[in-house]
Amino acid sequence: MFDNTTKPEALVSKTSKISTRNVQVYYGETHAIKDVNVEIEDKTVTAFIGPSGCGKSTFLRCINRMNDTIESCRVKGDIRIDGEDIYDPKVDPVQLRAKVGMVFQKPNPFPKSIYDNVAYGPRIHGLSRNKAELDGIVERALRRAAIWNEVKDRLQAPGTGLSGGQQQRLCIARAVATEPEVLLMDEPCSALDPIATAQVEELIDELRQQYSVVIVTHSMQQAARVSQRTAFFHLGHLVEFGDTDRIFTSPEDPRTESYITGRIG
Amino acid sequence: MTDTRHMSLLVRDTRTARRNRAETRFRIYGLAAIAIGLTMLVILLVTIVGRGSGAFQQTYLSVPVTLIEAKLDKNGNRDPADLKKVTTFGYGPLLRSAFEQMVDDGTIRTDLPAKKIAGIVSDGAEAQVRDAVLADPSLIGQTVTFEFLASGRVDGYLKGRVSRESIANDKNISAEQLDIVDQLRTAGLLEKRFNLAFITGADASDARPEAAGMGVSMVGSLFMMLVVLVLALPIGVAASIYLEEFAPKNWITDIIEVNISNLAAVPSIVFGILGLAVFINYMHLPNSAPLVGGLVLTLMTLPTIIISTRASLKSVPPSIRDAALGVGASKMQSVFHHVLPLAAPGILTGTIIGLAQALGETAPLLLIGMVGFIASNGPDSLGEGLLSPNSAMPAQIYEWAKRADPAFYERAWGGIIILLVFLITMNAVAVLLRRRFERRW
Amino acid sequence: MNLSFLQNPLVLVALVLINAAVGYVLARRHAMARAGGDARKLHSLPNYYGMTAAMAAGIPALGVLAIWLLAQPMLIQSALLPLLPADVVADSGRTSLVLSDVSRVADGLDRAVAAGVLDAQRIAALHTDPAGLRDTLGDVGVALGAEVEVYVLAAAEKSRSLDARADLLRAGVVLIVALAGMALAVRAASPTFRARNVVERGMLALLIFAASLAILTTVGIVFSMLFESLNFFRLHPWQDFFLGASWSPNFRGDSDLSILPLLWGTLYISFIALLVAVPIGLFAAIYLSEYAGPRLRAVAKPLLEILAGIPTIVYGLFALLTVGPFLVDVFGAGGPLSMEGLRGGDPLMAGATAVMTAGLVMGIMLIPFVSSLSDDIINAVPQSLRDGSYGLGATPSETIRQVVLPAALPGIVGAILLAASRAIGETMIVVLGAGAIARFSGNPFEAMTTITTRIVSQLTGDTDFASPETLVAFALGLTLFVLTLGLNVLALYIVRRYREQYE
Repeated sequence: MFDNTTKPEALVSKTSKISTRNVQVYYGETHAIKDVNVEIEDKTVTAFIGPSGCGKSTFLRCINRMNDTIESCRVKGDIRIDGEDIYDPKVDPVQLRAKVGMVFQKPNPFPKSIYDNVAYGPRIHGLSRNKAELDGIVERALRRAAIWNEVKDRLQAPGTGLSGGQQQRLCIARAVATEPEVLLMDEPCSALDPIATAQVEELIDELRQQYSVVIVTHSMQQAARVSQRTAFFHLGHLVEFGDTDRIFTSPEDPRTESYITGRIG
Repeated sequence: MTDTRHMSLLVRDTRTARRNRAETRFRIYGLAAIAIGLTMLVILLVTIVGRGSGAFQQTYLSVPVTLIEAKLDKNGNRDPADLKKVTTFGYGPLLRSAFEQMVDDGTIRTDLPAKKIAGIVSDGAEAQVRDAVLADPSLIGQTVTFEFLASGRVDGYLKGRVSRESIANDKNISAEQLDIVDQLRTAGLLEKRFNLAFITGADASDARPEAAGMGVSMVGSLFMMLVVLVLALPIGVAASIYLEEFAPKNWITDIIEVNISNLAAVPSIVFGILGLAVFINYMHLPNSAPLVGGLVLTLMTLPTIIISTRASLKSVPPSIRDAALGVGASKMQSVFHHVLPLAAPGILTGTIIGLAQALGETAPLLLIGMVGFIASNGPDSLGEGLLSPNSAMPAQIYEWAKRADPAFYERAWGGIIILLVFLITMNAVAVLLRRRFERRW
Repeated sequence: MNLSFLQNPLVLVALVLINAAVGYVLARRHAMARAGGDARKLHSLPNYYGMTAAMAAGIPALGVLAIWLLAQPMLIQSALLPLLPADVVADSGRTSLVLSDVSRVADGLDRAVAAGVLDAQRIAALHTDPAGLRDTLGDVGVALGAEVEVYVLAAAEKSRSLDARADLLRAGVVLIVALAGMALAVRAASPTFRARNVVERGMLALLIFAASLAILTTVGIVFSMLFESLNFFRLHPWQDFFLGASWSPNFRGDSDLSILPLLWGTLYISFIALLVAVPIGLFAAIYLSEYAGPRLRAVAKPLLEILAGIPTIVYGLFALLTVGPFLVDVFGAGGPLSMEGLRGGDPLMAGATAVMTAGLVMGIMLIPFVSSLSDDIINAVPQSLRDGSYGLGATPSETIRQVVLPAALPGIVGAILLAASRAIGETMIVVLGAGAIARFSGNPFEAMTTITTRIVSQLTGDTDFASPETLVAFALGLTLFVLTLGLNVLALYIVRRYREQYE
């Protein structure tokens, strides 16, 4: 890794999965994200941290164009995945989101059975030829989300009947079932108790084997535990970006230091 | 079957294309549904205006009538009691001779007898002359030009509803009579004019569609709305205040709540049955009276008013109540001094909408006898207005729709225009109130 | 002195209100005088003393009046029983029919006297031979089913004299209660009297009374229909009503009065109405809540809701005079789709009134009803579910069909049930658009009739409350009430459960 990580230009590497250039986001008149440049690597967990309202979630939602569903939101600048501009008019957000999965703050299982929750993505994207194949995909996804053993006997039970931690792991299973390349997680543990949080964090670490994971978190401890790279956002700016160890031990920017030591945020 | 993995985002795969086409189709269904709904609205409004606006115009015929003293006042002393003895029937000959006169001076060229010619004016023409004579006996002996309503068929002929083909089997009018109409029209004696009597007049019998008006039934509706306003508003507000501010949470209040939301969905005709059985059969209130109609509509409107009043009470934030209680006001004072005034615009809006709903309601009124052609004059006093038989706007429209002569259909559509003007005005006031006073906490 | 003006309850109400106003002024002044003109020495604000007096003078008196008005007819009826023949009294069904005759005769006599047609002497002369009374009463607008019996006239006379005496007594009692209430409250108005607490307790009682009026209305509806329905079932076998096959009322008696053909017509028309309203309303709601931009929404939603604000009489006229004739042009004799050839020269549609006419128009009326209810319900589906689906790469329509609609399904079913209840109870459209022929037929272009139209036709015009042909309307009304109530309760329960799920 490079030392001078705050300068993204210096970070162009072969493993870069997502790269952004001068990204600006506006909500109506509000300038929510200002000039963000970042390089996110493949098979790495990248954490976005920062005080509430700093824009980290907004930026995350730009990466799979979830912001498209918000009327007043405008995105400027350049976001590339594998070198392709995802805001290109030729890109269908539907295809993009199949490639960049997302897990949300509050567990949001559909009011369907556990099986149908996981099978939903593969079905709409047509990933299976027949029932047996679909069964395989569902089982693989549930295993990867480390929830298979808990639900294998009640796949037809409603997903909403699970506990909070199980629901969130079900949502992760649902996201990985579509075989994405990037997994975005928006404070995935904020609605969970400590035990469930630990389970999900463990899971995130395993997911790193296959995906590029981007996680937004409120908790610095969590960022330190699960991520290899950390980006600190403040008032819409990307203040500092680098190896997690370094950000937490010797931050370069005084704002990062204030945040980490608990003086702001 | 496509594997999205490792495919370029810039290339759209066939499955996505297919899904996007399904997406477009789905959107089109939605747009089509809205378009159908709006088209229906447009068709409805165009029909109403197109077919009803004719009712606001009526054909009048000016005829000089010589009021012969020998026929009207044999004694020559202008005694009102004697004048009254001459019935409407006795004025017939005057009218016929007036038409004979018009034939003689060449205004009308026809072979028809005078009785047939007189068929082109309304059956009420004689009564019109008689009323004029009784009002001013000094007219006797003079020749006075009267503006008579043309008969319903003649009016229809001018409005295009009646044609020479359509009257082939019609006993009430003949092609020769239409010839006369054409002649009078060319002479400028017969023309269509704005018809104020439609808005202010009373209903008329089956034979005189040209004379029927909405005025008296409008008064009936007005009195009913008065009853509804006086009863439903205070009772509705009181009930809502209790349920929203004071009621403990227990099974009794639960039953009341379920009851109110169910009453709001009970068919209106059931309220009519209730009115017939309780107010008329049991309590012996007079049949067809606006008071009874008002009571029935009150019961029907109450749930609507309660539901909207509770919503506006609920929208007043608890901090207002706490503030009043904090300076030592009683619970009752905090509600009446602070919460109620703040909720007033919402309550008023809900009440107006409830009234508009009641104004257009027909079914229950049919059961308590508030149908058309009951009252020929407006009431003289409040008590009479509440208790003497009357009709109501929607019931009057229904009555016209049931009659055989298509001339009444035009009146029914015209009546709808008047009714809708009232409803639109009330709803517009409600919307304005809401805009003007709406408060977001 | 002629006190007969006091018999009018409205006069009585006015007097009580005036008395209450006087009480207000007196009590307020009294309290102030006792406090030496210094309001600070009073326990409550001076107005509260006035209000205690006004309430004490008004509420008990008006309460007595209301109860009296309700109870008087019942008490007088029981006083009339000894005048009736024993065989009538023995049969409770006949008793109530005869009593209703008595009250009609009494009513008719009152009207005849008011109109100057009869006076006391002439009525006395009729006592032994009431022949011809039926025609006299018919002239003043009271239609009777048969000639008046001697005992009916006697009972009617007795009821008139009892009524007159009771009315005067009522006036006396009400006025005494009012004055006594006022006097007590004025005397009590001293500085230590906790007037505000008393007023507030009184107010609370009034509020509770207002809230319970809703219950009273329901009770009134049920009982008024139940009693007359029971009378009906005494005159007519219930088996025919619930299980018979035909409806042919015959005012000379011996009618077939079965609800089944009417129910068939009602359900058929409602079904067609829902067939129109549900898809259009639902798709409109989906588009408005999921796709439409704020501007389209701001325009289309209120415009659609205008359809719901148009009175039903307008739709009735539209059905009878516009939609009906249009359908006849298409499906009637000589029309392009009349299928005369297939039906042996018999066109599909004979007249403008038909199931299809009423059903289509009712469907139009229900579009905004379905769309605004579904709109609310779709909006209650949490955004997080949509996000979850979009996040997996679903298109909006896939999200709606596979996530939003299944989640909203219970609510939408509730909305459809409410719409169905509306359709079943709708009156004016079917009165004008559906026709008057009761039959079981599958052809939607034929005229059929419904429960509500029959209620209207049996209860309008001259009605004789002793004949099953009139009373059947109450049994129909009760059935309609039970049917719609069941649907409403079920629908409201489902919708409420649905809302709680996402709150």
